[in-house]
Amino acid sequence: MFDSSAHANPTRNRNRLQLALYLAFCVAIFAVPLFIDDDFLLNRYARYLVLGMVAMALSLSWGYAGILNLGQALSFGLGSYAMAMTLKLKTVPIHTGPDGLPDFMVWNNVETLPWFWVPYQSTAFAIFAGVAVPWALAAILGWFMFRGRITGVFVAIITLAILVVANLLVIDQQRYTGGFNGITDLAQLEILGLEFDAYSKSTYFLVASCLSVCLLGALAITRSKAGLIFQAIRDQEERVRFFGYDVAAYKIMAMSISAAIAGLAGMLYTVVMEFASPTFMDVPLSLSIVIWCAVGGRQSLLGATIGAIVVAGMQGALSESETFLDTWMLVMGLIFVLVVLFLPNGLAGLLDMAGRRLMRRPGALAGGPAPAKGLSGQKAKDQT
Amino acid sequence: MTEHLHIEGLGVEFNGFKAVNDLNLSVAQGELRCLIGPNGAGKTTTLDLICGKTRPMHGSIRYRGREIARLPEFQIARAGIGRKFQVPSVFRQLTVRENLEVAHCKHISVYTNILRSGRSAESDGLEKLAAFVDLSDYFEAPASVLSHGQTQWLEIALLLAQDSELILLDEPAAGMTHQETQKTADICNRLKGKHTIIVVEHDMGFVRQIAQVVSVMHQGTLLMEGTVEEISRDQRVREVYLGSTLGI
Ligand SMILES: Nc1ncnc2c1ncn2[C@@H]1O[C@H](COP(=O)(O)OP(=O)(O)O)[C@@H](O)[C@H]1O
Ligand SMILES: [Mg+2]
Repeated sequence: MFDSSAHANPTRNRNRLQLALYLAFCVAIFAVPLFIDDDFLLNRYARYLVLGMVAMALSLSWGYAGILNLGQALSFGLGSYAMAMTLKLKTVPIHTGPDGLPDFMVWNNVETLPWFWVPYQSTAFAIFAGVAVPWALAAILGWFMFRGRITGVFVAIITLAILVVANLLVIDQQRYTGGFNGITDLAQLEILGLEFDAYSKSTYFLVASCLSVCLLGALAITRSKAGLIFQAIRDQEERVRFFGYDVAAYKIMAMSISAAIAGLAGMLYTVVMEFASPTFMDVPLSLSIVIWCAVGGRQSLLGATIGAIVVAGMQGALSESETFLDTWMLVMGLIFVLVVLFLPNGLAGLLDMAGRRLMRRPGALAGGPAPAKGLSGQKAKDQT
Repeated sequence: MTEHLHIEGLGVEFNGFKAVNDLNLSVAQGELRCLIGPNGAGKTTTLDLICGKTRPMHGSIRYRGREIARLPEFQIARAGIGRKFQVPSVFRQLTVRENLEVAHCKHISVYTNILRSGRSAESDGLEKLAAFVDLSDYFEAPASVLSHGQTQWLEIALLLAQDSELILLDEPAAGMTHQETQKTADICNRLKGKHTIIVVEHDMGFVRQIAQVVSVMHQGTLLMEGTVEEISRDQRVREVYLGSTLGI
């Protein structure tokens, strides 16, 4: 049916092109270690990929479902701490106190391992919790917000407030969380006999695999019927309700999937950085995620991923000169304002515009005059 | 004809102002009912009450004999009631096909829909719907490129994709050119009998073209009911419309 109708082909071609771009990106990140044999650099690139992953997760909830979750770093931090807790308990006895107590607990006169630390003696549990806790928290929070029909800027304010509270709590409860210092001196992650040294190809490949799976999985979600309804909710929330959909259920789903991916990214971040810190769940990080997402293009999963990698990479390169570090936030704020003003769909939107220019060249579009006219405004999210 | 929608003693107040007051209305299966009345008569509010956008304070709304007055709006929609709003609202960033996919909701659970493709196997039917409202050429174009009239027609197509048995149209011909109005009347006439339709409209020319029975509302309540000829002869209706430009 669609092959025979001239106007249906552009969409199908766009979808194929989109998939090709996503696959090319995955192949490219896997190919990086072939050309770079520097473990220090690979560690740094793995870090950027993790940040790309958390920005991609935000694109799913913000760009697709219109939920601006300013507490994205909370999910990230929860994942990060889950991983740090299990790796802390796996350290060789010299690093831990009596009965396998983490060193910072010994210093804080904690005598027995707190109950909520106990299950983290199992790495499998920690990996489960690193995804499930952010997922459940987002689902509960979403339930209250979306059942109560809280929308727009209020969602942003509430999620930000919860992030601030959680951050203060983690810093305050030094006895159980390591407080300001976070959780340091960790063991190496070991899964089924495989060791993941932060400065090795294995960790890089672990991160690249997780990112690829999540990216393609999220792409599949955006192409599902639910993905379509997410976008409809973003456009006209009220209208979707009158088509018989339980809008709150959809928004809860979008937000909790996004949180679960962010949690996984947080776990990987701990593996790559070899520690967990309250800065992994603080407001500056959360705002950075929003900026990466906006710069890359929030309505494009791949755009958001690349946005994070490029901007964080730039920051990494520039921060080598000490003087620049202070002005960094200023530069980032400026980039954000420029993007919001001139590129509402970010870099992905720019690419899409270029793509459309090419498509519009004479002979490029074989369809009749009406479809050509109709397609001139084709939406940005299709391209990347 | 069997009764499809039955409204009894319906009322709602906004800060003490009775926007709809003791309204009684009964619409038969397959009927096309026009609801007219001067500005502020409470027509839009009545539709809001039926589709659950506004909660009624008094009275009952029975749809196929079932009380729906206090259900959440998504359940009312699932029961088979579709609504076109006065201000056209389609999903502007989605294509016409995607708009229809969203409206076409056999499965409404998020858990099943996350596993189903956004491009359903019934695309054929959706294309026919687009053709029905003359939007075939725009099937894969974003709704944002549609003209005002086309947007209104897309909204009607969305209600058909939703497979609503009762369709509520709020001023479907508002802001349309003469030709567009003609086309909209044509669409309404083609739907007659297949769906139960309630049309709120100001344009009496339009009402004449489609109406079977007309209900006149005034100050939140039903003033009279009858054919176009009957109501245009009625003295009370003339008084209500005195000075207005409806040209009854
Ligand atoms: N949400 C609301 N809050 C306050 N007043 C309202 C609200 N909705 C409608 N009204 C009032 O109710 C009356 C009926 O409005 P409406 O149903 O829109 O009339 P119309 O017949 O022109 O569609 C108007 O006077 C309007 O101002
Ligand atoms: Mg009105």
